Amino acid sequence: MADFMTSTHRAKWVFTPQQLVEKYRAANQRAREVLEKGGTTLMTIDADGSLKYPEPQINTKDNANKRSRAKPVSIEEERCIRLFLEDKIQEVCKNFHFPHKIQATALIYFKRFYLQWSIMEHDPKNILLTCIYAACKIEENHVSAEELGKGIQQDHQMILNNEMIIYQTLEFDLIVYAPYRSVEGFINDMEEFCNADDDLLQMLKTLQETARLEVDKMMLTDAPLLFPPGQLALAALYNSNALHKVLDFDGYLSNIFSRQSSMHTKSEFIESLNAIDSLIKNYRCPPRSETKPINKKLESCWGLSSHDEGKKREKKSKHKSKKSSNEAQNAPSLA
Amino acid sequence: MGDGSASGNRSSSNKPEWLQQYDLIGKIGEGTYGLVFLARIKSQTNRGKSIAIKKFKQSKDGDGVSPTAIREIMLLREITHENVVKLVNVHINHTDMSLYLAFDYAEHDLYEIIRHHRDKVNHSINQYTVKSLLWQLLNGLNYLHSNWIIHRDLKPSNILVMGDGEEHGVVKIADFGLARIYQAPLKPLSENGVVVTIWYRAPELLLGAKHYTSAVDMWAVGCIFAELLTLKPLFQGAEVKATPNPFQLDQLDKIFKVLGHPTLDKWPSLANLPHWQQDVQHIQGHKYDNTSLSNVVHLSPKSPAFDLLSKMLEYDPRKRITAAQALEHEYFKMEPQPGRNALVPCQPGETFVNYPTRPVDTTTDFEGTTNLQPPQPVSSGAVSGNMPGGHMSSRSNPRPMNVVGMQRMPHQAMQAYNLASQAGMGPGMNPGGIPMQRGVPQAHQQQQLRRKDQMGMPGYPPQQKSRRL
Repeated sequence: MADFMTSTHRAKWVFTPQQLVEKYRAANQRAREVLEKGGTTLMTIDADGSLKYPEPQINTKDNANKRSRAKPVSIEEERCIRLFLEDKIQEVCKNFHFPHKIQATALIYFKRFYLQWSIMEHDPKNILLTCIYAACKIEENHVSAEELGKGIQQDHQMILNNEMIIYQTLEFDLIVYAPYRSVEGFINDMEEFCNADDDLLQMLKTLQETARLEVDKMMLTDAPLLFPPGQLALAALYNSNALHKVLDFDGYLSNIFSRQSSMHTKSEFIESLNAIDSLIKNYRCPPRSETKPINKKLESCWGLSSHDEGKKREKKSKHKSKKSSNEAQNAPSLA
Repeated sequence: MGDGSASGNRSSSNKPEWLQQYDLIGKIGEGTYGLVFLARIKSQTNRGKSIAIKKFKQSKDGDGVSPTAIREIMLLREITHENVVKLVNVHINHTDMSLYLAFDYAEHDLYEIIRHHRDKVNHSINQYTVKSLLWQLLNGLNYLHSNWIIHRDLKPSNILVMGDGEEHGVVKIADFGLARIYQAPLKPLSENGVVVTIWYRAPELLLGAKHYTSAVDMWAVGCIFAELLTLKPLFQGAEVKATPNPFQLDQLDKIFKVLGHPTLDKWPSLANLPHWQQDVQHIQGHKYDNTSLSNVVHLSPKSPAFDLLSKMLEYDPRKRITAAQALEHEYFKMEPQPGRNALVPCQPGETFVNYPTRPVDTTTDFEGTTNLQPPQPVSSGAVSGNMPGGHMSSRSNPRPMNVVGMQRMPHQAMQAYNLASQAGMGPGMNPGGIPMQRGVPQAHQQQQLRRKDQMGMPGYPPQQKSRRL
């Protein structure tokens, strides 16, 4: 692993809670304004690669009426959809038997992507799959778009169409640090700290297993955008240890913070720990019944309505180029 | 033009916006990944600054963005070092999803420097230059290795040297398309379907090692060191193409001839390498008895230079010297000591070699197709290429790179819009694409490169076919 301390992850992608709120608000506001002006919010890719909102179609009364009925998705609703789909990322990755690292990378890509865009601007179901595809590519576990698409009955062309937008939005900062490796590192360190015998080694294994599951949970919250991976890993181990009581964690923490001439103190870490804990405690995957009405709203933002989707899509693509129409091509089956 | 229908006409207004900030000079390199072009910045801030633009082919199998390109970009985003090439910008051609990487241009590379000495100057490279080049190469490599990055494709043409200017004579390691962050399992090169030259390949790779380490880069450095001394590739094996396995008997044979056969005694893990048992007669046959590296490189076996070289060419990767250790070697502590400008000897009385500028093929456009028109005079600033599918509105005023025109957006919203505009979404926003520094305006970091000689290619006829980079 390259060094986290000098990484783009640390320099650019760890935020304060206020920054997150501000970013989500800004993206939502931008899409809202487009909608207010009578446009549709789903960005399309033009032949020359420009991203644009489709031009408002004011020619038919029918359309004008529909548009006036299109209600923007609220910031809270955006969050709901994201939470729902992030859970799906874990599910899809499990079904494909991808290693943890890929799942984590895909999740981080997805989270970063929707810091910059509203879900009204890019269909999150497409972005979800493309993030998984990109994560596979970056983590050297290459899966062809076709294979991935087949696995979930989606058109793989949609994945290819969105790939570049994802890299661009992530500013090509594609090396991300998930807490799983840090958990491993801390476990190795603990082995030394405890002078572990065979029994204790076995218990540390259990500790690690539970900590991994803790990390799985954290990955579904905002925590990966708020804390560096080392802190997340330590928090996971702390919680895991509370369950298994393998070692004197307080003593271990004192030990780490005494030898590390780090900028952090133990009390600062306890603060982070509590913050991470409350993120996990407050996490709830929204049920389908909650996302359904939001998806309806989304469709109306995109100028689609449920009964004549096909027709609307055809109308939508003003540009006859292959690329431009693909963005909206897919029936959302993950919904 | 090769592709008239898609290319539109030749007027500059038909080129994509990002391309309009450059004057394309010509093609300077070619590889399996794509092509490299020399271009100059048009904008006021950095006018005339030379940029190397590496164009990646779209991946063949229609499976999205080229993984090689993505890998190179993502690694370069994480690293900054004086002896590593600097990625200045990334441009995207959305019509075919190809990527264009813009680097600070380096006038020279070790391949050309060695060739110049061998074919034109007829004398060896002076000691100071060899030592400085080697030290800087190791310095960059030590940085990469301490960041857990293995380059995997070090060879003279990937080791660049800056021409005239503030960074004159500074080494830059380039071409990270095969580089990997290790600790993740590394697939053998051959499995990635990548063809790289075998002359600099470490013996453990040739013998089929599944897991390998940064030591493979040090082997390559050893080969390059020897080549700087003798002006000839040290192990010039004939490559067996189209074999799916990495086993290259002739390459191994060339190594054995100079270094003798490896033995289980000196290299215990040898027995575990898949190809050790293959073709036992040739691999374990010990047909070379009187081998002598010191004779081949004309160094006294007692000299520090020879000691360092032989430690780099140690068979057992576990015993091979590391970049960090090599930097501490006695060779670098004795006179002449290495310097920052490898090309200008500090000692009075040393011969000064004026290295030629890089050959530029001005007949090739950005698509890599050859122009039917004769080469255009460079001073006119004509760009002899255009892009398919570009139909941006006409913009006669070149605008400075990375000057972000915030016309409507509050700062918080810029993040996404910067990128959107990179894709041509809005006028006046970040025409230079993604700034490749973190928060530091680029103009402040870039050193102006002064170039005396724009097109002169003393010594070299125009190349018919550019070598692979």
